[in-house]
Amino acid sequence: MTSMFHRSVLALAAVALLAGTSVVNAQQQDKNRALKKYESGTKEFWTHPPDDWFLGDETEAQKGLAPPSGPPTGASEAELAAMMKKIKLPPGFKIEVYAPGVLAARQMAWGDKGTLFVGSFGLGNVYAIKDNNGKKEVKTILKGLNMPTGLAFKDGALYVIAVDKLIRYDNAEANLDNLGQGKVVYDDMPSYAAHGWKYIAVDKEGWFFLPFGPPFNVGIPPTSVSQIRRVDPKTGNAEVYALGVRNSVGGDVDPRTGKYWFTENARDWVSDDLPSDKLNMISKMGEHFGYPYCHQGDLPDPKFAMGHKCSEFTPPVLNLGAHVAPLGMKFYTGDQFPAEYKNNILIAEHGSWNRHKYQGARIMRVIVGPDGKNAKQEVFASGWLEGDQGYLGRPADIILAKDGSILVADDWAGAIYRISYSKK
Amino acid sequence: MRVVRFGILSATLMLASIPAQAADNSAIKEKAAVCSGCHGENGISQTENIPSLAGQPDQFIQWQLVFFRAGSRKNDQMQPIVEEITNENIRNFGAYFSQMTPPKGAEDKDPDLSKKGAEAAAGRRCASCHTDSYAGTKAVARLAGQREEYLVKALHDYKAGVRVGGGVAAMADVAYHMSDEEITAVSHYLAHLK
Repeated sequence: MTSMFHRSVLALAAVALLAGTSVVNAQQQDKNRALKKYESGTKEFWTHPPDDWFLGDETEAQKGLAPPSGPPTGASEAELAAMMKKIKLPPGFKIEVYAPGVLAARQMAWGDKGTLFVGSFGLGNVYAIKDNNGKKEVKTILKGLNMPTGLAFKDGALYVIAVDKLIRYDNAEANLDNLGQGKVVYDDMPSYAAHGWKYIAVDKEGWFFLPFGPPFNVGIPPTSVSQIRRVDPKTGNAEVYALGVRNSVGGDVDPRTGKYWFTENARDWVSDDLPSDKLNMISKMGEHFGYPYCHQGDLPDPKFAMGHKCSEFTPPVLNLGAHVAPLGMKFYTGDQFPAEYKNNILIAEHGSWNRHKYQGARIMRVIVGPDGKNAKQEVFASGWLEGDQGYLGRPADIILAKDGSILVADDWAGAIYRISYSKK
Repeated sequence: MRVVRFGILSATLMLASIPAQAADNSAIKEKAAVCSGCHGENGISQTENIPSLAGQPDQFIQWQLVFFRAGSRKNDQMQPIVEEITNENIRNFGAYFSQMTPPKGAEDKDPDLSKKGAEAAAGRRCASCHTDSYAGTKAVARLAGQREEYLVKALHDYKAGVRVGGGVAAMADVAYHMSDEEITAVSHYLAHLK
């Protein structure tokens, strides 16, 4: 208690000191700050991450940048209709609202019988969307889960990952009105929310790739996070598949090679233009992707490089840009889009929260061969940004539909869109 | 405390049947009559452990209603009332309460405690989200002038993990590290802000 107030007084004194100094001095002070140290060795750390986990490292010039909050009830149907007219696409492509009222929509997965399952962020909902004679019926099938952002469908079962529990709901499409409690099939995961929300990619053997983010911006990761694991939902067996990964919330298995590709959100608070977020590919098990020592393949961390060189780590397939926040991604394996789209990667960029001028909030197309070399990207769909720090919507995930069109989940506007192609 | 809860519960039971009828009326004011039973006339609560809503940011009101409806914020009184609330009504309630005149802090009879509270609030960086005036903004609550014992309750709820907050769970993370003394001081300070 005494020490608490003591610290507070010190903090006040520091604020008062800073107030009188120039920005340059403030930046110098930021640079001189000691490495941030978290007591990540304690058991308590596993339930309660540092209270400044997404702040704390910002410079004076970056103070006040905070995660924006979207419209709590999503965009209305009128707002969505107006928004659709603002979205820019290549010639021949068309976007329309597939389903409104899917609040905080994140990862999507198809059931075998055509049900579209959708996870959500802080709202705790999982939705099922059924086609009812052309009208989409959105039903909330699970409530009160802990950030159920990721889901998958396999052998008739719906799998939901809610931070520290991978839950299986058997025969899900026949029981949409009463899924029951489900069965926890894997729970060897920390329980905190900080970068604890996840994404599921199913590989050819039916194992799940799951990301584990560190519970802070940057630091030496505590045990068993900053990694990608591969988990067998049948047995609950798991292996560490990649290391040195910050916050990944999207990935897909290459239909050509079976290798896992994933998006990764880079550390914050370096600058508006550094470091770049990444697209990665795991060539072989156990690769290290650089966090926290090296970012974007060529930028040693100003605090945490600690003598490491970037050449020690697996470089990204592609640097996607700073603060674009790449989330869900899919290889385009359909037949509806022009032939040159085959096996391209489509990435949903959620957009910035701590860049002075937001970027992202669009869908990117990455053209790259199975070896990951000479990747290039172009904008596929954009128009969700308005002004310097305004969003109409924020794409969070992509899934292919049977007809070769794609669906896009937007957790800001609370809607699913459909993008299709027609030659004429 | 227990007695007070009981009173609230019975009041809620009486009110629980009203929303369906109220939905037929177009005026949001009439719908808000359900709220004033506990949250007070003009959105200023006279009831222990019930927050004032007047002058809360529009988005904050809306988010809490969305959280109650989804069940991600759990409360026995609120949940049955908002279970079937429409998006349109959530928007209307947000606009309605945010436009009301916020409560004014009462005369501070323990300025020493307020001073400690101000220091603790600075140390916990409360203002970096709740704004320097503690009037709140967007999805972040107004704290200035809120009922003191409600602020204590809210912080304890966050600390105990009973309440999680919004997407990035900042409040739960911050409150977990606060001592009871700190919570008492911060709440006193904020409740008496003018």
